[in-house]
Amino acid sequence: MEFIARAAALLGAGICMGIGALGPGVGEGFVAGKACEGIARSPENASLITRTMLVGQAVSESTGIYSLVIALLLIFST
Amino acid sequence: MEITREIIQVAAYIGAGISVSIASVTSGVGVGYIAGEASYAMMKQPKAGDLIFRNMFIGQAVTETGGIFSLVISLLLLFGGFDVAAGGLYRFAAMLAAGIAIGFGSIGPVLGSGYTGGQACKSIGRMPKHGNAIMGNMLIGQALAQTSSIFSLVVALLLLYSTPLQPRDASLGHIVAKSVSLLGAGLSIGLGTLGPGVGIGNVAGRASDMIGRFPDQRPSIMRTMFLGAAVSESTAIYALVISFLLLFAI
Repeated sequence: MEFIARAAALLGAGICMGIGALGPGVGEGFVAGKACEGIARSPENASLITRTMLVGQAVSESTGIYSLVIALLLIFST
Repeated sequence: MEITREIIQVAAYIGAGISVSIASVTSGVGVGYIAGEASYAMMKQPKAGDLIFRNMFIGQAVTETGGIFSLVISLLLLFGGFDVAAGGLYRFAAMLAAGIAIGFGSIGPVLGSGYTGGQACKSIGRMPKHGNAIMGNMLIGQALAQTSSIFSLVVALLLLYSTPLQPRDASLGHIVAKSVSLLGAGLSIGLGTLGPGVGIGNVAGRASDMIGRFPDQRPSIMRTMFLGAAVSESTAIYALVISFLLLFAI
């Protein structure tokens, strides 16, 4: 019956990456939207705002990368 | 279990239903939001009515793309001649997964480009003089948001056309694992494009709004929009990678 575990791992990989990509996508989009707003309102701080945006997005991206790692582990090491 | 033609047809009908029902809900919300914002903008600025109306139509047409992709896939599922019993359990899973991939995959892009179109209509109502700049930015932003629905379409078409037929001498374990991995590929790209689509739509909507308010800052606003949309798109690309691995590497 060990193929049930293998099948569950493969389905789990799909669900993991699918739902895991939801948060980072929305969050990074929100950051970038607010950054556009900030740069429009105070263009002299453009470089500071862009830097903050990229740092925030990098932190937000980390959960997406965790999902990717778990999905790859589920596919290749079960 | 013997897989007959009727069982394959069940998968095709369920897949087509999932695909077109979810897509019609989200298309309704996205297109309706644009029309609502356009009506409000016309009330505020009746002189710019023609411009707002044109922008509304173009924005709605781009937003509807995700819904049209879903319709195409469900018509293919119903009438594409895929209901042959030789496909076995692989074919059953692939047809279900194609419906899930494009159905869920249309949610994010459609909601995102709907938000962008609505904000652009609002912005044109406030600043009719910069209508062309705002509309150009809206179209670029909506195209970026719809990228992830094209990922879903690619995976759905691959599921329909390049799934291997079930080998006769395969063991039960291998058959179940491969079928479930096809389902996983559909779920991965379907749910994975939801976040990026909504996120990029939010970026492009804010950018359209701000180009209307501060037209001098257009280059730096658009640069930030591109940068933010590219980073936001990365999670959709991870989902695409996992889908391809589940489709071809198992």
